[in-house]
Order: sequence, then C-alpha cells, then structure tokens
Amino acid sequence: MDSSIVTSLYGEFAPLAPMIILMIAALLMPAVYYATKLRDAVTLVAVAAIALSMFFNILMMIDGYQGDYVGVFVYDAFAGVMILLFQIVALLTAMVSLSSSETTRAHYGAFNSLLLAATVGMMFVATANDLITIFLGVELVSISSYALVAMKRKDPRAAEAAVKYVIIGGLSTALTVYGLSMLYGVTGTTNIPEIAAALSTQDFSWAFGIALITMIAGYGFKIAAVPFHMWAPDVYEGAATPVSMFLGTGSKKVGFVALFKIFIVIFVAASTTAAFATEEVQYIFAIIAAITMTLGNVVAISQNNIKRMLAYSSIAQAGYILIVMAVMSEYALASGMFHMFTHVFMKGGAFLVVGALISVGIGEKISDYRGLAKRAPFIAFAMLLFLFALAGIPPLAGFTSKLFLFSSAIYDGGLGGGVMTQWIWLAFIAVLNSAISLFYYTRVVKAMLIEKGETTERIKVPKTFTAAISICVVFVILLGIYPQLIMDFCADAASALFGI
Amino acid sequence: MFFDLPFEIPYLLTLLLVLPLVGAVATLAMGGERQKYAKYVAGAFSGITMVLSIMLLFVPDLAVYNESYPWIETAGIRMSYILTVDGLSILMVFLTGILVFLSTVFSAREHDRPHYFFALILAMEVGLMGVYMAADYFLFYVMWEVTLIPMYFMISWFGGPRRHYAAIKFFIYTHVASLVMLIGIFAIVFGAAGGGIADFSFEAVLAGSAAFSSTFQTLVFGLLFFGFAVKMPIVPFHTWLPDAHTEAPTAGSVLLAGVMLKMGSYGIIRVCLELLPEGAQAWQTTMVFIGILAMIYGAYACIAQKDLKKMVAFSSISHMGMVMISMACLSDIGIQFAVFQMFAHGLISAVLFMVAGATGHNIGTREIPLLGGLAGKVPVLAAFMMFGFLASLGLPGLVGFWAEFGIIFSFYEYTISIDMIWLIAFCLISLLLTAGYYLWAMQRSMFGRLTEKIDLSHIHDLSRPEVIALGATCALIALFGLWPDLALGFIKEYASSLALSLGVV
Repeated sequence: MDSSIVTSLYGEFAPLAPMIILMIAALLMPAVYYATKLRDAVTLVAVAAIALSMFFNILMMIDGYQGDYVGVFVYDAFAGVMILLFQIVALLTAMVSLSSSETTRAHYGAFNSLLLAATVGMMFVATANDLITIFLGVELVSISSYALVAMKRKDPRAAEAAVKYVIIGGLSTALTVYGLSMLYGVTGTTNIPEIAAALSTQDFSWAFGIALITMIAGYGFKIAAVPFHMWAPDVYEGAATPVSMFLGTGSKKVGFVALFKIFIVIFVAASTTAAFATEEVQYIFAIIAAITMTLGNVVAISQNNIKRMLAYSSIAQAGYILIVMAVMSEYALASGMFHMFTHVFMKGGAFLVVGALISVGIGEKISDYRGLAKRAPFIAFAMLLFLFALAGIPPLAGFTSKLFLFSSAIYDGGLGGGVMTQWIWLAFIAVLNSAISLFYYTRVVKAMLIEKGETTERIKVPKTFTAAISICVVFVILLGIYPQLIMDFCADAASALFGI
Repeated sequence: MFFDLPFEIPYLLTLLLVLPLVGAVATLAMGGERQKYAKYVAGAFSGITMVLSIMLLFVPDLAVYNESYPWIETAGIRMSYILTVDGLSILMVFLTGILVFLSTVFSAREHDRPHYFFALILAMEVGLMGVYMAADYFLFYVMWEVTLIPMYFMISWFGGPRRHYAAIKFFIYTHVASLVMLIGIFAIVFGAAGGGIADFSFEAVLAGSAAFSSTFQTLVFGLLFFGFAVKMPIVPFHTWLPDAHTEAPTAGSVLLAGVMLKMGSYGIIRVCLELLPEGAQAWQTTMVFIGILAMIYGAYACIAQKDLKKMVAFSSISHMGMVMISMACLSDIGIQFAVFQMFAHGLISAVLFMVAGATGHNIGTREIPLLGGLAGKVPVLAAFMMFGFLASLGLPGLVGFWAEFGIIFSFYEYTISIDMIWLIAFCLISLLLTAGYYLWAMQRSMFGRLTEKIDLSHIHDLSRPEVIALGATCALIALFGLWPDLALGFIKEYASSLALSLGVV
C-alpha cells in the first residue's frame, strides 16, 4: 500500500486528504448525535475519522508524498509530521472525552465537532504556504478552542478561563494580523516563498522590524512564551481536563508551526542580506527562551494544583522548544519537532491521568494524590513515567528528546561546523532548568508512591482513559529507546522546511 | 589468572545486565501471598549474576566478550549498545556481583514488602553493571541515571525516620551533578565529532580527542570532574551522603558505599583521565587538595559522630579522599592503587555498613553513647565489628593495608617530585585519626562496662543469613589481603598504559 490510494481517491485534492476527512466528520458530528443520541456513537465516528485520516497521512509520509493545492497548501515532509502530531492529540482527546466527567453532556455532538474543526485548523497551518492560510488556520483553532473551554458549563472557573482566553486570543490575533499586514506591505505578496524572495533583495526597514516584533508577540501568546504566558495556567485549570490537554499539547504547537513556517523560511532565504536582522531576531528568541523556561519551572515549584503545575511546566517546555528559533539550524528544528512529539505523550499522558482521576472523584491538589499507588497502581506507575520523562530521566522519551534539543544548541547535526560556542549559555540554562523541574515533579511522585493516603480503596478508572494512557506509556518508553521511529521523519521534515 | 575458563559463555556481558533486569521483574511479580518467596527469586537471580561475574575473572581474553550493536542512528547522531570489560572495570563488575548477592542474603529477614525491596536491589544492579560495562557515552549516562531511581525508592520506602528528606536530597544532588556531567559529555562527543557524525562510542570519542585544545581540555575536565566527584563524594558537596546512608536500609547503604560511590572515581579515571590528559595536568593540584580535604575532614568528622552508621559514612568520605589523591598522582602506581582502594573499600565498607545496620536492628540503637560493654552479649557481632574496623584502619594482612600502603607510596613519590614532601604528613594524620576514631568507637560501644541506658532483654546476636553475608565478605577481605596480586594483576597493565598516555611514568 502506498500513497497512490490517496491520490486516486482525492485527485488534485490529495494534499488536503487528511483534512477533508476530518472536515466532513466535523460537519457530521451534530447530525450523528441528534440521530442516535448516543455519545458512544459520536466518539466512535470521530475516532474512526481521525484514524482514517491518520492512516492516509502515514501512507503519505512513508511514501515521501509531496504535492500542493493551487500553491496555497503544500503537503511535504514537514506538513506530514506535524499533521501526524495533531492527529494523535485529537485522537487521545476524542477518546477520553467520552468518559470524562468534565465534558459537556448536552452538546456532545457540538463538542466533537469543534474538536475536529480545531484539528483541521491545525492541519491548515501545517500545510499552509501563505500568510492568509496560516492566519485562517490559527483562527479556526482559536475560535473552536474558545468554545471548547467555555463548554464546561456550571463551573465559574471555566467561564473565567474562557473570557480570559477570548480576550487574550483577540489581542494576539490583532497583533498577528498587524504584523502580517506589515509584512505584506513590505513585500507585496502573501505567499511565503515569494516573501522570502522579495526580502532577499531588500534592505532592513523599520516597517519590517515592526512586522517581526508584532508577529513574535502575537505568536508568543499562542505558545505561551514569557511575557505572554499569563493566560495559560488559568485557562488550563479552568477548562475540562481533556480540553486542557488538547490546548497544552496540540493548539500550542500551532503557534510553533506558524513561527517555524514564517521565520525559518524567511531566515533561510534572507540570511545572506541585511533585510532580516538575523542575529537580532535570534537573540530575541534566545532571551525569550531562557526567561520562559526559567520562569515556567520556578513558578511551577510553588503550585499545589496539578493542572496549574502542568500548565507552568508546559510554559517551560515551550521555552525549551524556543531554542530552535534561537539556533535556527536544521538539526535544531528536527530536535524541536521531536520534542514536540514526546511532549504530546508525556504532558498529554500526565493531563490524561489528572482527567481520569477527576472523573472518579479525586481532586486536582497534589495532596489528593496521596497513597495513589495503592489505590490505582497502573495509573500511579504511568504518572511516574510521564513525570520522570518530563524531568528528563533516561531512558524515557523526554530524556532523548531533550538530549537532542539541548545538544542542538552546540551541535549543528554533522554539517561540518564543529562545536558551536554561540549558544552554549542557552544549553547550560536549559540543563539547569531540567534539574529544577525534577524538584516539583518529585513532589507528585512522593505523594503518589511514598506518602500514605487516608484510604486504600481501589479506584476503577474509565476504560477509554486507561486505553489512552496506555498508548502514551508505550510511546514514552518506545521513543526513549528507539527515537529514530519519529526522529527520522523529523529530520526529513526539517530539511524540507530549510530546503524551500 | 592461574586458572583459565575452558569454555566461552555467549553474550556474557549482556547476561550480566539482563539477568538482574529479569530478576527484578520476576521479584516484583511475587506480590501478595507469595511475597515470602521473593527473597529466593532475588537470591537466585543475583546468585547466578554473581557466579557469572566471578567467572569473568577467569576469562583468558576479555576482548572476546566485547559486544557492539548499533542503537540510535538519526540526524547526525550515532549511539550504540557497546559493552566491554577491561582491567579497570573487571574488579568493579566483580564487586557489584558479589555485593548485590551478599546484601540480598544479608536482608533475608526483610518482611516489609520484600518483593519491592529485592526488586529494587536487582534494578540497582542493572544500572551498576551497566555503568561499569558501557563503552558508549549515551549508554553510560543512561545507566548512570538508572542507578538513581531504585536508590531513591529504596531510601524513601524502606529508610529511617528522615527518609523523605534524605531521599530527595540524594536524588536532586546527584541528578544535578549528572546534568553537569551531561554537558561535559556533549562537549567531548561533539568536540570529537569535529563537524562529522557525532558518534557517542568511547572509541570514536577517544579517536577524535587528539583535536582537543588544552583550554578545551581544562574546561571540560572541570565539568566532568564535578559531575563524577559529587558522587564520590568530595567536600563540600558531600552532605547528601551522610543523610542518605543514615536513612537508607542496610542493603541500600552497602550498595551505595560499596559500589555506587565507586562510579564517581571510575568515571574520573575512565573519562577524565583517559580522554583529557592535559586537563588532568591542569587540575592535578586541585585534585590533590580536594583529596586531602576529604581525607582529613572525613576522618575528623568521624570522631564527632554519635551514630555508628553516620560515622561509617564519614569514614567513606575519608577513604574516597584517599582514592582521589592516589589518582591525582597521575602515575602508574597511583592509578593502580586508586583502583585497588576502590575495590578494597568496596569490600570493607560493606562489612562496616552490615555491622552498623545489624547493631541498629539487633540492639535497637546505633547511638554510640547508649551502647557499651555489649561484646559479651553479642560476641559474633562484636567480632565482625572489630574485624571491619581493623580492616578499615589498614591492619596488615587485610586488603585495606595494601591499598593504603600503595597510596601513601605513590603520594610520597608525587610529593618528592613537586618538592613538597611535608604533604605526606596529611596522609599520616588521616591514618592516625582513622585508627583513633575506630578504636574509640569500638571501645565505647562493645567494651567497658555494660550499658544501662538500653533495654538489654531484647537484644540478640546476628542471625544466620547475616553471619553468612558478613563471613563471606570478611573472607574476601582476608583473601585479597593475603594475596593482593590476585586483584592487582588485573589493574597493572591498564594502569601503566594509562600512565603512559598521561605522560607520567
């Protein structure tokens, strides 16, 4: 089997194939719900659609399929890898939403519809080759997510989170649009390769500088980089846990994809001229990265609510991934993408554990987790793996991906440059942060495995949660000892993006 | 060796890793009703591992057993699964095999969740064996960290009253040190790659190390040295050790002092000295100073300790300081006896911690001021304590004597070569202090008037498994004391070739 199935089925729309399936499913969701009134049926259709879309995408990835639709959407190795990531996130979220006690009962069709629509938006951005498409994709994700957050009704925290998210999101959108329009003004086109070509013949202008700054700020909100991070802990805490997971592991990556697409493509084309102010932009990102990871980790130490702690640790992880934007090398991009993948399983897994436990009536405080090992051994063991992976303990996935990512600050991936000294300080800060992070992760480990709880009554976690958590456990171990499973694709993806 | 193994065992080194791993899983499965059989499962697996590690000593050509398979090859990075055993690591592998089995035997009476307890011991053995056999920096680092997690749980599940604090302190302290070491590893691996594919194997890095400038060597030596030395430990980064030891259960302390501290000095020799000779020259004086500090401070602190186990912990710091000064000589004899002292201290500290642990268990307290005159009540324990103390202070005829003799000899040579012969006085002061605190502790706890401060009706002498474990370790101490060449024979060739590459003979 190869990608010829996809091309024969979809013809000229083949590059959009994974998206089309999900779009149709998204539109069908409410109908399925009103026809059957069965939540199981809705989830089944959603999961089936995502699985089919994932199947097509994997065929296309393995085949090395490349194609574009009217020059606006481009499916290449980069798009394939990122689409796979978004599909995994959507799959996990759809699975667990079924049995989570936090997701809405009334509008379950709409919930799934929004979830799939947001996923389509993410894929839009991954394939986008045009500023307008990126913008539309990001907006599709954002608007669907506002609704997803607000859908946990009857909880004032969710309402507060949703309002905060909308306002901050609006601000971010405004900044981004401003930046994108300045960029259009400077170059006269919205097509990214053409922008790159146009810039390589220009000198640096203030209009372009403002465009860069506003775009960094706009997407900085999306990825929750310091100082644009304030919304993240409130939103993650307020939203239903499956939605928090979706936002933390999926929607955040959209911002990164947009940053990669816009900045790296321009960077590669324009690095030889003065137009891009290469060094300055790299330093801006390096400083943001250092501050983001440090603040995220330090503030996480004092959190007693696990969802907030995970939110701050997500901020720290964004800081790690921003190393890519500072180093701007092919190897760094591949490592960053790989880290995003492992992050889905580690952080996603941790959120799933929290969601599963909320569903059986255990609170969100770290102290609520006391004695968990006796009550739910598998869940406690899984959480131990996720947290140790996040802290970067070998041989788990988080260690391997951090090793690649941090080493990318000093190693160019075998291109002949030898040891780079420019970003050694960034690698140092990242490694030190890893040490800090161990401190707050072990607090949870200690509560779960070492401290005694008030009761030793067994907990029965819903089956879909167990299944989703098992998937994460398998990949947290597998990607730790066999990273080339995904890393090879990431390396191809990075060279595709740098090759434009 | 006087006797050559007449047959080959396929995949011997992998077996040394896999057996404890399988054993750990099998022991863990012995929960519930079957948990009283957990010790037999653990004993069987660690026993077979020990037999294999002993057989390794009789292998005529160790190179036959090298194993190398590609593992991770992606995006300009190559990591491999390479296991080797050479003159430096063979004694450590042997020590690990022996001590893991003996500490399993010693803990045979453990009845609180024994399946977890023994599984943790076996899991630790995987990491320890891995560290000593790995010949790839990625594998080495993974194994290095693998040793941490079982120890963390060992202390926090089975430790004393302050176990939470001690466990987290141990974990964070040594993890931070390993991260610093990881940066050092990045530097040597990517530096050696010189722009090509970054190969993490020892061999490739050694081949590429010719290009290291002396500034680079000095800087990176510092990073790696810090990472390793915290594990040894060095003053002032030693404070995790007394806490961890005091709170850890006896088997944990035995492995911590016996084998885990040696990971630090092993790393310094294996990585820092082998790879960065110019860095070693630049850091030599500092190493000597750090070694003297640890040696004197450790011994001095021992005098003040009231807890028998804490005293033994500080004496470990002092003895590891001797390893430090010995390897800091960068000479043939220095390295040879540094490794020999690692081996000797591994055996002796095992006896000391078993004795200290048994005192706590069988008498009810380890506080020296509360003890007294107990030799009549617990004669076997007192005899082993005496033997352990005498071995540790370097009684001729026991293994510690040769180690200390060799170290002082090599250090004497070094002080002459730098024209500061008075430095040798520190060694003598440390020896005197050592003899002093041991004899004083012995006198206060076992001899003299029978104490009235503790309830004497419940105390009992050593149980049979404890006697077996202690007896076997003491027998080894005597064997290698009477016949040191049995161990030195392995190290000689390695030490002289390393000294040659360091430029000092």
